[in-house]
Amino acid sequence: MQKSAQLKIVNRFGVTRFLPLNKPVFTIGRKAENDLQLLSDTVSRQHAEIIYQDDTYYLVDVGSKRGTYVNDQRIQRIGLQHQDRLRIGGDDEQQIIFLDESVERASAIFDSSPSLTLSPSTRDRARVTSANEELQKLSRFVEVNQAFKFSLTPDDVLCLIVDAAIEITGAERGFLMLRNEHGDLEFKVARDRYRNWLVGNEFSMSRSVVEDAFKQDVSVILNDRDEAASYFSRDSIRGLDLRSIACIPLRRFQMTDNMDATMVLKRDVLGVLYVDSHVAGGTLTQTSLKLLESLAFEATKSLESVRLMHEEQEKKQLEQELNMARQVQVALSPVVTKEFPHFELATHSIPSRYVGGDFYDFVSLKDDRAVFSLGDVSGKGMAAALLAAMAQGALQAQFTSNLPLSDVITSLNKVLVQRSASNRFLTLFCAVLDREGHFTYINAGHNLPILARTNGATESLTTKSVLLGAFDFVEYKPRQTRLASGDVVVMYTDGVTEAVNAQHEMFGEERLEQLIKDNVHLSAEHLKQHILDEVLAFTAGLPQGDDITLIVLKMK
Amino acid sequence: MEIHIRTSGHVTILDLNGNLIIGKSEESLRAAVTQLIAEERRLLLLNLAEVPTIDSSGLGAMIKSFTSVQAVDGKLKVVKPSRMARQLLSITGLLSVLETFEDESAALSSF
Repeated sequence: MQKSAQLKIVNRFGVTRFLPLNKPVFTIGRKAENDLQLLSDTVSRQHAEIIYQDDTYYLVDVGSKRGTYVNDQRIQRIGLQHQDRLRIGGDDEQQIIFLDESVERASAIFDSSPSLTLSPSTRDRARVTSANEELQKLSRFVEVNQAFKFSLTPDDVLCLIVDAAIEITGAERGFLMLRNEHGDLEFKVARDRYRNWLVGNEFSMSRSVVEDAFKQDVSVILNDRDEAASYFSRDSIRGLDLRSIACIPLRRFQMTDNMDATMVLKRDVLGVLYVDSHVAGGTLTQTSLKLLESLAFEATKSLESVRLMHEEQEKKQLEQELNMARQVQVALSPVVTKEFPHFELATHSIPSRYVGGDFYDFVSLKDDRAVFSLGDVSGKGMAAALLAAMAQGALQAQFTSNLPLSDVITSLNKVLVQRSASNRFLTLFCAVLDREGHFTYINAGHNLPILARTNGATESLTTKSVLLGAFDFVEYKPRQTRLASGDVVVMYTDGVTEAVNAQHEMFGEERLEQLIKDNVHLSAEHLKQHILDEVLAFTAGLPQGDDITLIVLKMK
Repeated sequence: MEIHIRTSGHVTILDLNGNLIIGKSEESLRAAVTQLIAEERRLLLLNLAEVPTIDSSGLGAMIKSFTSVQAVDGKLKVVKPSRMARQLLSITGLLSVLETFEDESAALSSF
């Protein structure tokens, strides 16, 4: 029989799991088929193996790019010793330690597994100590977390709680379930006492115990088969042959305002903590029950504080990012000071509080041709602003090298497809205007610019082309129209038409079109200002949801 | 958002229920499609009848789903988009790529 050994894996938040080395060849790598999957880029798809041979576990590098290390020495093949530290490639997300259980057992000072024959009192005392340690550990984590703004995730906290609960009670398995938005319980953590995650049918448990604890807000403790008889007859638990179960509601207390302005303490149940075991009787003493309840209390507190902290942190990070994005955006917007012989141009851009990826650009080419582009990258924040910057740069470079519009857009699309692993797209309206008033444009999924003629006619400028960054097989084909003296083209982003008023109505294309039609006689600058004023009046002081970018072009 | 999956002949229908917007709902659509492709189900119909709002991330999830189904020689089509969703698909030019239907049986017989 194979000597028993395991890998202890501690992630950077201190959450530990154990993986038993229970097969002759145990594989490690980035691919999902590996027994241990590590997601770091520095880990090869098939990186290393742990092979059991002649009573020894050998760690073997199977041709990795970035190497395999034991105690910081790069190795090709090495026999593993108890407590050896493994490093796979450059992965520093977790610490991996090899544990030889024959050595481990001999040197164990305290082992909480029920197989240990401690007298009940010793066992209880040991558990109390260890439970106190766990409680301390838990609160320490939260403290550390607050102090250093570590990103300890709520999931990590949940894991710690379940591991502590199992340790306190000496149970075999532990579950933590939380209420979802529909009010139903959802599994969050399911672990055994070796800190392995449970899978598949290992999830079967006493539903009626859980329901009672959750719905009636009571702790349910069943210590042997007789006590549990009523429950056992209610669900399929007989098949499980469970002897002891504890299920504790996770209660949250909140001070809330009453109707008559008095404060009341409201309590609700966020979820349940559940442990069970095949071992009958005595497992769940009064002491461990008390500890379990205070653990549940601590758990709820930790959860709440971690949740609040996360929200706070995310908000801060987002704000920082948005500030930077706003700077990028402002820096990239062209300042148009030049006078043009054949047209007037007025532009405006108001980044929203949540800076999106709007951009506009104006490039003046040889022979009095002018390029207008107006785009909107999906998503918000820094990444969107940078992609907008990239697109803007690519457009400028290609136009100045005199490529035709369709080639420029088609190749920009290909570049974006290659880079859009991150789910980002660009809607773009791009047009070239020459001295004779020929206006050649491509509209790749962007809001339809409005062309208003002096005779009162209007047109929406579309080429029905799909947005950029989605499909690499698309050819972008332009259309052309002729602009006459006094004609106006208004290009805009959805911040204009999707501006919302207090009645949740949108400003909309029709309103915009009518507004332009009625004011086609105004200068570019005045028309731009008039549209902005109308949009602001429409939303009447409500916060601006999206960037508002507006370009008004008027033929002289 | 909830996704219910049913089949009709060779076609797998995903009934989406709720807004398809940034966060969980876009992720669950991508996850569901990835899972279906892994199960070698390659003819997919997205039923948007119960999806009031789609934002740019939701749109992104639809595009990614479309391209990943296409990459395995499958097809992804859309049925019953809301008025707003249809407008979005139209403005972004996606109607030219994503086949869209008003009627489920018509959609099913088009595969």
